[in-house]
Amino acid sequence: MGNILEIKNLSVSIEGSGGKVQAVRDVSLSLREGEVLAIVGESGCGKSMLCKSIMHLLPKSAGIESGSIIVNGMDISHYTEREMRKLRGKLFSMIFQDPMTVLDPTMTVGAQIEEAVIHSNRKLSRTQRHRRVIELMELVGIERAEERYKLYPYNFSGGMRQRSVMAMALAGNPRILLADEPTTALDVTIQAQIIDLLRDIQQKLNTATILVSHDLGVVARAADRVAIMYAGKIVEIGTAEEIYYDPRHPYTWGLMRSLPAFSKGQDKLNTIPGMPPTLIDPPKGDSFACRNQYALAIDYEEAPPMFKVSDTHYAATWLLDPRAPKIERPVGGRLNGSVLT
Amino acid sequence: MNYKKSKLLYYGSKLLIFIVSVFVLSLLVFYVSRLAPGDPLLSYYGERVEKMSVEEKNIAREKLGLNEPIYIQYGKWLKGAVQGDFGISYKYKQDVLEVISQRALNTLILGGIGYILIFLGALALGIICAWNEDKWIDKLLCKLGTFSCCIPEFWYSLLLILIFCVSLRWLPSSGAYSIGKSGDIGDRILHLILPMAVVLLNHPWYYGYMVRNKLLDETRADYVLLGKSKGQSKAKIMFAHCLRNIMPSYISLMAISVPHVIGGTYIAETVFAYPGLGTLSYESAKFADYNMLMVLCIMTGIVVIFFNMIGQIINERIDPRIRGMESLEGLEVSES
Repeated sequence: MGNILEIKNLSVSIEGSGGKVQAVRDVSLSLREGEVLAIVGESGCGKSMLCKSIMHLLPKSAGIESGSIIVNGMDISHYTEREMRKLRGKLFSMIFQDPMTVLDPTMTVGAQIEEAVIHSNRKLSRTQRHRRVIELMELVGIERAEERYKLYPYNFSGGMRQRSVMAMALAGNPRILLADEPTTALDVTIQAQIIDLLRDIQQKLNTATILVSHDLGVVARAADRVAIMYAGKIVEIGTAEEIYYDPRHPYTWGLMRSLPAFSKGQDKLNTIPGMPPTLIDPPKGDSFACRNQYALAIDYEEAPPMFKVSDTHYAATWLLDPRAPKIERPVGGRLNGSVLT
Repeated sequence: MNYKKSKLLYYGSKLLIFIVSVFVLSLLVFYVSRLAPGDPLLSYYGERVEKMSVEEKNIAREKLGLNEPIYIQYGKWLKGAVQGDFGISYKYKQDVLEVISQRALNTLILGGIGYILIFLGALALGIICAWNEDKWIDKLLCKLGTFSCCIPEFWYSLLLILIFCVSLRWLPSSGAYSIGKSGDIGDRILHLILPMAVVLLNHPWYYGYMVRNKLLDETRADYVLLGKSKGQSKAKIMFAHCLRNIMPSYISLMAISVPHVIGGTYIAETVFAYPGLGTLSYESAKFADYNMLMVLCIMTGIVVIFFNMIGQIINERIDPRIRGMESLEGLEVSES
């Protein structure tokens, strides 16, 4: 399988009142055709920014500093808005975090999906378009589509709205689907449905998908590969099995231990102490060091490079250096399937 | 059924408020105009008043019914008004409604066309500014507008008269048409240009800013991102989505600002001696032409109150909870 998307040394910054925020710092990753890559991390670690920079949907104050985004062999990091418009919806499209605000409240859901259909193929006749909209609505599991075509977003529940957004995203048969925390704003029972639906559709249409989430548990249902992001950087990346059964980065351990399943029988949930650093002036060395109970002296001085664990598994922590002391890992290996699904 | 009943109640209460407002307005205007200084005899007899003796004046007052206590005068006026008799104009010695009807069309032309142009202009202005947010044209228009809408209308009028009538002699400075050319449309348009220009130079700006700011709020909404990710163009998103979203509030703004525009029209009429209701109100207030003043004030008042109410109703209808109720009702019907 070839890489449909390749990001090389991408840096994105946002101009803020307090200075320049380095939201994404030197990120490199690749997405293979037909796979689901999950990007996991705490709030404010640059996941959304990474996603939006791929589609050039960054806010005005933000911009790509350096690096390249290669989609289908083209470097689109310097594409103009006009060039991007031709790619959006067809080559890639996006699902957003909050389905409550992302739909236009004054327009029927059907008409909004139809807009996406029109953009994907201008030659369709009126009836063909209508049929395609109904087909899409059924694809994303909206029952009685013909009736609901005429309803407004406020008639829809959160889950139904997110399904409608998915229908729009899929209208142009995109090769890449970017799902930016698609379940965060939904309640727990709906979360699983939407993730399963995403996985279903992804397998049916063979769409390469980037699934952004802050919840390792949510991601476990769908991801082929997982990238862990912290403070604008990717700190560990590997196949889902490698990340869940053999995590190497202390931050990944922290995220794992924070899953409620790990606190069974305890009074309190496990947490990672502290907060992510502000990225206006990122700390020297490893930015996770001050929250890391396994931090080594060198972590405060020099940022660790990506150490190779296996062909598919890399992690950026000095613990993987041959000279590092051996420590007992708090998680990994003993994780059983029931915890994750 | 219940819903229909409550709707009836709703519009009934609006109507009641409307009638009470107009009544209170008429009472106030009646008292204030009679207590204010000014001699109605002056408008009735003109300059002859100066030669009249005190007795003669008293007889004249008696004849016009001005010596009775004000509340009795009001009672008589109200009795006539309910029957459609608003009395005669002291100055024109004609039925008040007749004088007004001769001039109402002029005001309707100036005010009506002005109103439409103001709000089309404001919409265009807002879209241009929002489209070019923070670019030079946006900044220029904003600065220019702040400057232009701060200049009082009467000063503007005088300036325009000075330039176009006195210096350049391009346009007439007063009236609605040249003498003997009342049917000549070209001539009327020529007379309309300056008063219209004053109204248009003064009013559209702040409505334009409101459109601009509302549009900018909308362009930051999440659905714009969705539109973009669908591959829609900026123009499509702006016109099909953002504009559509601000339209309800713009329409209610239009309704609420009717009084404002009427006020502006009256001022422009007065300065340009344009024979409309504005000039008429000014004259009738100045010369204490009571009956005329009453009708004009009440007419203007009715328009103002009416459009305020329309604005209020539109605003209430925008409330999604009311809309939600209606659509739910529709669903029940379709499913049963």
